[in-house]
Amino acid sequence: MKRLPRVLSVVVLLVPVLILGQTTRRFDVKLTPDKQIVHVLNRLTFGARPGDASEVRRIGVERWIDLQLHPERIPENPVLEARVEPLASLKLQTWEINEKYAPPQPISIRRPIQPASILSPLQISKLRDGGTVEERREILMSLAPDVRGELLLTLPPQAIEGLTELQDEAAKARTAQQQAQQAERRRLNPPLNELLTPDQQRQVRSGTDQEKLAIINSLDPQKRQQVLRVLGQQNLLQGLPALRREAMALARPQDLVNGELIENKLYRAIYSNHQLEEVLVDFWLNHFNVYNGKAQGRILLTSYERDAIRPYVFGRFKEMLLATARHPAMLIYLDNINSQAPRDDASLPFAPNQQPPRRPGLNENYGRELMELHTLGVDGGYTQDDVVAVARAFTGWTVAEPARYAEFNFNGNMHDRKEKIVLEHKLPPGRGEQDGIDVIDILAHHPSTAKFISKKLAQRFVADDPPQSLIDRMSATFTRTDGDLRAVLQTMFSSIEFSSEAAAQSKLKSPLEIVVSSVRALNADAVDTFALAQRIADLGQPLYGKVEPTGYPNTGESWASTAGILGRINFATDLTAGRVPGVKPDMSRFNFKLPAVVATELLGSAPSAATIESIEKGIQGKEVTPSMLATIVLSSPEFQRR
Amino acid sequence: MLTRRYFIKSSAVVMAGFGVAPSWLARAAGPGEGRGKILISIFQRGAADGLNIVVPFFEKRYYDIRPSIAVPAPGKQNGAIDLDGRFGLHPQLQPLKPFWDSGQLAIVHAAGSPEGNRSHFEAQDQMESGTPGRTMEDGWLNRALQPATPSTSPVRAVAMGAKMPRTLRGNRNAIAIGDLQQFQARDQGVASILESMYASSSDAQMSAQGKGTFDAMKMIDSINRTPYTPANGAQYVGEFGNALRGIARLIKSDAGLEVAFADIGGWDHHSNENGQLPGLLNQFGSSLAAFARDMGDRMQDIVLVTMSEFGRTAAEDGNAGTDHGHGNAMFVLGGPVNGGKVFGTWPGLEPEQLFQKRDLEVTTDFRAVLSELVRGHVGQPAESVFPGYKPGDPLGLLKA
Repeated sequence: MKRLPRVLSVVVLLVPVLILGQTTRRFDVKLTPDKQIVHVLNRLTFGARPGDASEVRRIGVERWIDLQLHPERIPENPVLEARVEPLASLKLQTWEINEKYAPPQPISIRRPIQPASILSPLQISKLRDGGTVEERREILMSLAPDVRGELLLTLPPQAIEGLTELQDEAAKARTAQQQAQQAERRRLNPPLNELLTPDQQRQVRSGTDQEKLAIINSLDPQKRQQVLRVLGQQNLLQGLPALRREAMALARPQDLVNGELIENKLYRAIYSNHQLEEVLVDFWLNHFNVYNGKAQGRILLTSYERDAIRPYVFGRFKEMLLATARHPAMLIYLDNINSQAPRDDASLPFAPNQQPPRRPGLNENYGRELMELHTLGVDGGYTQDDVVAVARAFTGWTVAEPARYAEFNFNGNMHDRKEKIVLEHKLPPGRGEQDGIDVIDILAHHPSTAKFISKKLAQRFVADDPPQSLIDRMSATFTRTDGDLRAVLQTMFSSIEFSSEAAAQSKLKSPLEIVVSSVRALNADAVDTFALAQRIADLGQPLYGKVEPTGYPNTGESWASTAGILGRINFATDLTAGRVPGVKPDMSRFNFKLPAVVATELLGSAPSAATIESIEKGIQGKEVTPSMLATIVLSSPEFQRR
Repeated sequence: MLTRRYFIKSSAVVMAGFGVAPSWLARAAGPGEGRGKILISIFQRGAADGLNIVVPFFEKRYYDIRPSIAVPAPGKQNGAIDLDGRFGLHPQLQPLKPFWDSGQLAIVHAAGSPEGNRSHFEAQDQMESGTPGRTMEDGWLNRALQPATPSTSPVRAVAMGAKMPRTLRGNRNAIAIGDLQQFQARDQGVASILESMYASSSDAQMSAQGKGTFDAMKMIDSINRTPYTPANGAQYVGEFGNALRGIARLIKSDAGLEVAFADIGGWDHHSNENGQLPGLLNQFGSSLAAFARDMGDRMQDIVLVTMSEFGRTAAEDGNAGTDHGHGNAMFVLGGPVNGGKVFGTWPGLEPEQLFQKRDLEVTTDFRAVLSELVRGHVGQPAESVFPGYKPGDPLGLLKA
């Protein structure tokens, strides 16, 4: 019964093959219905779960795509809601995060002594700038020994040059200070062997999750905090997410904020029914990349993803562009907060003992990346003059109190009021904030933007090198609808290129995609995604951790590397063996199944003959577990592609 | 089908699982075989402070503009180690002094990129590409490799670290190894099945990647079987030391290593430089010295060069640290090196002598240094490795 469509599809395939005499796959040859289902799940989701293909078949591919384009019509997975509920920082405004997750105060004994309080200016000057050995000895020996000890900690080396007995004293004072600090640190954060009995220590280090939980819950509040802090630092709380977060909140609250953001992303990728939305949030956050390691990025990304990216992924491009341009995360990441109108002053004189004066001026970083990476593309037709003009237009777009409120603020004093010419548009002088808004408008409507955005979307969803015909049609939709991203996606998903033989299985999965698709294919339960995030970072893609504004590449090519393959094989081995803390795969569903069946289930379609042969030949005479079979399939060349 | 219970674990089967052993295995066996020239690139990420690493103690200006962080002159407490009466090494680099004395260590000061880019990642990308002013997809060290032949070792180009650095990206196969001991599949049975699967896959790209991976794994597995003790009492320090130790082990196993890369971060000392630089230099200097001691006579075949994306401001900033700068110091270490000399033209530290009135000038393009090493040691002409660059007069870094 299934043979007839297969014969037809073979004929459809063979016709162009026979005509052209080639075996390259084509963008104008449509996939069979069965292959379309697999393909659409590969591209619009982070990987198919068992049962997904039947669901798509039941609804019909077109209707399923349409639903994904309108996620408000899809009920969300209650498991997801349960997983992200405890991630408290996700719901907070930036200022609330700064308040609730302020870093702990550093340990200090007391204020260092101020030389001015015990010495005259002349004496200080002799100590610092060239008194003779005798003079300096006289000054220092006139002090009481304990006062002198404290003072020695603050003086520069030349103050005690030539005075060996005082150098010894200084060394002793430094050692004493270090010891005092260490003692204080130990008092506040005792090591584990001072807090727990040896038996408790053993259980808490290497016991089961239940045992660890039991011991920690049995402690009084202060001891509980101290023990959690140590365990958190030693990374012994994976798989116990609530405790892990509690420990982090005590020791490194700002890392917890970033950690919750990462957990949220992975829970959503694994569990959300709104898969296309999650794929798009990943795409657009990458497009408007912000790095979590620079300045306040760690704290600001929570609001950035929630307020400047997610609401717009099915909306208008221009609105997302403006939202990112105004968001403190972007303004800080690309240094626009320091950008000011260039001054006309001549350079200031260079005074001795002073650093060379930092002349405040224009910072071109945001202006350049706004055009090169966010809108027109590097070949989009802008010049260096345009970069300068755009940078000048955005002077004054800055952030008020970055470490506290971190709010957008337009500072007129920093703004360049003169006329600017951007891509042949004249911006009249003296219009303040409107300059930047106009530039956003100009860029959003520039024909190169339509092409650049369309090409990037096509790279992510269709092929690393998408056909120009598709890019042109998507770009026309972009222009016609004034940047309606849902419409552009519809043009793309309904195109023949999207559903073509050439597109299917052509892209190499990124580390994020291989890890999440493995978890989804196994239908594993993820109760803590911290360890998964670490594995993704180890494979080369630390989430929110791309330093460069280019973001992670959309082309699969970039992930191909020899170390990458070994990393993926070892990840699959660990995952199926239950050795990734926080992720529990149920391998029993593969019991007693033949390799070909296991492979088909995990890949979503029949594996190649070469794959099956290798497996069957390789397992001859061996004891084969379901974990081993699953590992082999998840490491196969086929599973690396989507 | 799933009935038999014994499990084949013999490494011999894993190694020779496909009939004839690959030719590189046979090649590596012969004495003196696989002992070619080796070029090692070390990247100090974060802009190392060259002025405090190779101290121009003869310049009074140096002490004027760095009142709290200048390294004292030789002879004073915590003073620099005198090299030639003008320059000295930071005291924490004492382990490198013997190599200076024996002529294996040369220094090029005021070296770097002619571009004034002070962005860490851009400047790193451009230096690793070998193309100031733009970033290429591939790196200079990859371009310095000859095309592979069937007898080329799978571990001829190795980056120590989890990620492939731009320096070694490109057309020639290179591998990134986080840790030699860890570069193996958790399950050998699975690995051999996958090896066959990748070899017979119609996915050409995956098949090639797979072959590179599995070949390297087998080679490193056989290397790991021989326990390793550094020679001459060499003691490696820290993560950086570990990386160099890995390179040393690969070299001594005659695996056919041709080029290697390692990096060390943490140099971006905007404040409290005196609290951070000494510890880092301790790791840096001790490990480089340990490597040279460990390699012993084999240093005759090795040239190691260090670089950083740019230097730091000549004057200190308001936080007892320094900001991003320009010119920097490069070390060149090896048997073939014309050591015991500070190369390059010293530009001076007076305000009008500084780049943009704030940083040490660059008087030697880093490509002059690297291209001379590539030409003299590996044998590749400069033009193919550094596109768009025309070398000037040679510096004389290598013995004739």
